[in-house]
Amino acid sequence: MSRRAPWAAAALTLLLSWLIIYPLVVVFAEAAGADLGTFVRDRVAREALWGSLWTSAASVVLAAAVGIPLAFIFERYDFPGRAVLGTLVALPAVMPPLVGVIAFLFLYGESGFVSRAIQALAGSREAPWQLQGAGAILLVHAYSMYAYFYMFTRAGLARLDASVLEAAASLGAGRFETFRRVTLPLLRPALVGASLLTFMTALASFSAPYIFGGGFRVMTTQIVATRLNGDIATAMLETAALTALALLGFALVRWTERGERSYAAVGKGAPPALRPITRPLARVLAAAAGWLFAVLLLLPHLTLILISLVPLNSWTTETLPPALSTINYRRLFTEAERLGPMVNSLWMAAVATAASLALAVWAAHLVVRRRSRLAGAIETLVALPWAVPGTVLAIALATMFAVNSPLTGRLVLVGTAFILPIAYTVRNLPLTGRAVLAGFRQLDPALEEAAESLGAGRLRRLWKVTLPLLRPALAAGGSLAFVTALGDFVVSVLLYPNFQLRPISIEIISAMRFNDLGLAAAFGVVLMLVSALALGVGGRVGR
Amino acid sequence: MSYLRLQGLTKRYPGHLAVSDLNLDVERGEIVALLGPSGSGKTTTLRLLAGFEVPDAGSIVVDGEDVTRLAPAARRFGMVFQNYALFPHLDVGENVAFGLRDVPDVGARVAAALARVDLTGFERRRVTELSGGQQQRVALARSLAPEPRVLLLDEPLSNLDPTLRERTRRELREQIKRTGITTLFVTHEQEEAFDLGDRIAVLNAGRLEQAGSADDLYDRPATSFVARFVGRTSTLPGRLAGRGPGRRVIVRPEALRFAPDGHITGRVIARRFTGGFALFSVESDGVSFDVHAPHDAVKVGDEVRVTIERVLMEEPE
Repeated sequence: MSRRAPWAAAALTLLLSWLIIYPLVVVFAEAAGADLGTFVRDRVAREALWGSLWTSAASVVLAAAVGIPLAFIFERYDFPGRAVLGTLVALPAVMPPLVGVIAFLFLYGESGFVSRAIQALAGSREAPWQLQGAGAILLVHAYSMYAYFYMFTRAGLARLDASVLEAAASLGAGRFETFRRVTLPLLRPALVGASLLTFMTALASFSAPYIFGGGFRVMTTQIVATRLNGDIATAMLETAALTALALLGFALVRWTERGERSYAAVGKGAPPALRPITRPLARVLAAAAGWLFAVLLLLPHLTLILISLVPLNSWTTETLPPALSTINYRRLFTEAERLGPMVNSLWMAAVATAASLALAVWAAHLVVRRRSRLAGAIETLVALPWAVPGTVLAIALATMFAVNSPLTGRLVLVGTAFILPIAYTVRNLPLTGRAVLAGFRQLDPALEEAAESLGAGRLRRLWKVTLPLLRPALAAGGSLAFVTALGDFVVSVLLYPNFQLRPISIEIISAMRFNDLGLAAAFGVVLMLVSALALGVGGRVGR
Repeated sequence: MSYLRLQGLTKRYPGHLAVSDLNLDVERGEIVALLGPSGSGKTTTLRLLAGFEVPDAGSIVVDGEDVTRLAPAARRFGMVFQNYALFPHLDVGENVAFGLRDVPDVGARVAAALARVDLTGFERRRVTELSGGQQQRVALARSLAPEPRVLLLDEPLSNLDPTLRERTRRELREQIKRTGITTLFVTHEQEEAFDLGDRIAVLNAGRLEQAGSADDLYDRPATSFVARFVGRTSTLPGRLAGRGPGRRVIVRPEALRFAPDGHITGRVIARRFTGGFALFSVESDGVSFDVHAPHDAVKVGDEVRVTIERVLMEEPE
């Protein structure tokens, strides 16, 4: 359909700019008023910037070192247990960042299972290590981010045409030469994509440095600390600096994706067949390595479940908890104080998911169907919040919505029940937008035209044809958005309006502070289960 | 006045003119083929009729009502899409019932529509389970069910395999004629246009070259484009055809004959066997042309004389 809808496109562009660009502009405007000199001279801020950069780069290297070999093993070789192990790889995805971090604390922390086991074995009373600083952050990052490399590499390998590799072999290239001169160059877009994705995620990471950082500061935690110290001007400068860094990364991502699109058209054909491992020793080794990996993946989840069964103050110095009960779960569902945060998180995440889906459908319709002049701008706006670290987004929204000035488009929403759903919606938009745009592009425009020529008006077309056909995309994008909002910590901690309206992650942190570890773990398990359920349902509908 | 009138229809896209000042009258109950090479504007014309595109100039009038700016949903024009565009999330019955709103007894109407295309009892079948031919018939039933004023078909047979095409073509014509609906369809295949259409409108570069019966187009082409596009032709320079310099003629292979007294001398360079008759390629003085003759009339390599029995068209060189 070439009938354009200039007003609708302009309205959506304006709305998205107001929600996404304007808050960042407000931050930059306030930062401009601060003294740049103090920031440059501020040793702590400089160290935080450097810390952010090098831990993010190191996270890329670690995640690649784990994810790429795994992808090759799973995509190229057949060995016992391959199918089961392949599904376990998705496990870190059902752990919200904060929950993953406390699971690591329970597992590898000073009084975690692993160090207790080592103490028991060595007969020592001292913890063998401290889970703190950059090392601890990198450990968590490698665990939660290797999947980017794993998935991107596997997808890239699956797209490889076997005949291309055979052509290389027939031209006299050996296995190593084929890998170096054919496979690797063809995988490059996937690897560049995974690297940027990991870098951006690590740069925005908040939960790990917040819990494990100790004296080690990165930008995300430094901003919050500065703000808590009351130095608003410097906090704005730091936020602006992190934003600039993230936007640079975003521009890089968009630039590389452009190249990849022209690339994908080449690949058409069957991927190389799985190579079964036949030598007995190799088979045993592959299976053992696979299962060891699976155990490492599963340990945080198991730990979390075990800790959630430990009653308050019942476990002190024993290696294993002496008593187990379901008391923590009963507390979760009977004490109004515990139930409240769960209800809050559920409704806020649900509202934000619905809103971001509606915005995504509107945007995709204008971009794909109406071929609006503003299509490029709308697509960029929809993708942009992904690049904005949660800390930045929260501070930007907190700043913008703290002033009542309707003429400049600002009003007071901080402290109201609106602020978190709005923040979640903005954060979710890239997830729903990406899924719905892809779904819309696969939709045959003739289907909507057929409905139109059969007399169906705009609403009926949307309701009876477009939305039912988009169901897989809506389910996939919606479930991902819901899980992200439900498990969010960074935006929540900076924006939650009051005690009554606090979400789950805030309750987890306060339980940790009261040393009520069982309760924190029980919250974590519930989050994990709801996330797994949502993603499972989303994936099923998607098929 | 004609039932459907296209007057001065013009559609411009950035960089090119898709349809240019198109005038066409279609009588009630007539089937008209829009025939042309790709990029000739035939699909754009169909989409202008359906209302998916809005013309930059001109008008579309049906039964005395100007529908040029009417939304597709309000136009009551049925459309069968090239890939049928059946709704994959609805079954056959629901697809056919889609356009039947505020109609009493939808079930009976759906059953009647399906019976018309020989798909009685297919209501609860999934559209993805149907063969290509069945999908095409469901698409036709769906577009006809709301009793539209005009039926539009976009390359209706192009998605069927060739063996099925000829039979489906006849069935399609019967089904359309039975409802008596005024029909326009787009095709790039001459045979399809001749078989299915009462009249054929030949389009080229956005312009209507000629509209007429198959005989008109073949025997009395209005333009040299139509002469060359419809059927097989050869172009001979004036000196070979006995015309003055600067002129050339267009002839059909069957209007050329091997004759001992023919004034064109040449040599047979190839033969294409088609049964009782064959097409012989003859080269004369650096020009080659086709002659339609009994398959054993001459042999490849023979020196022959050829005479022109009828010139289709003469044009400046």
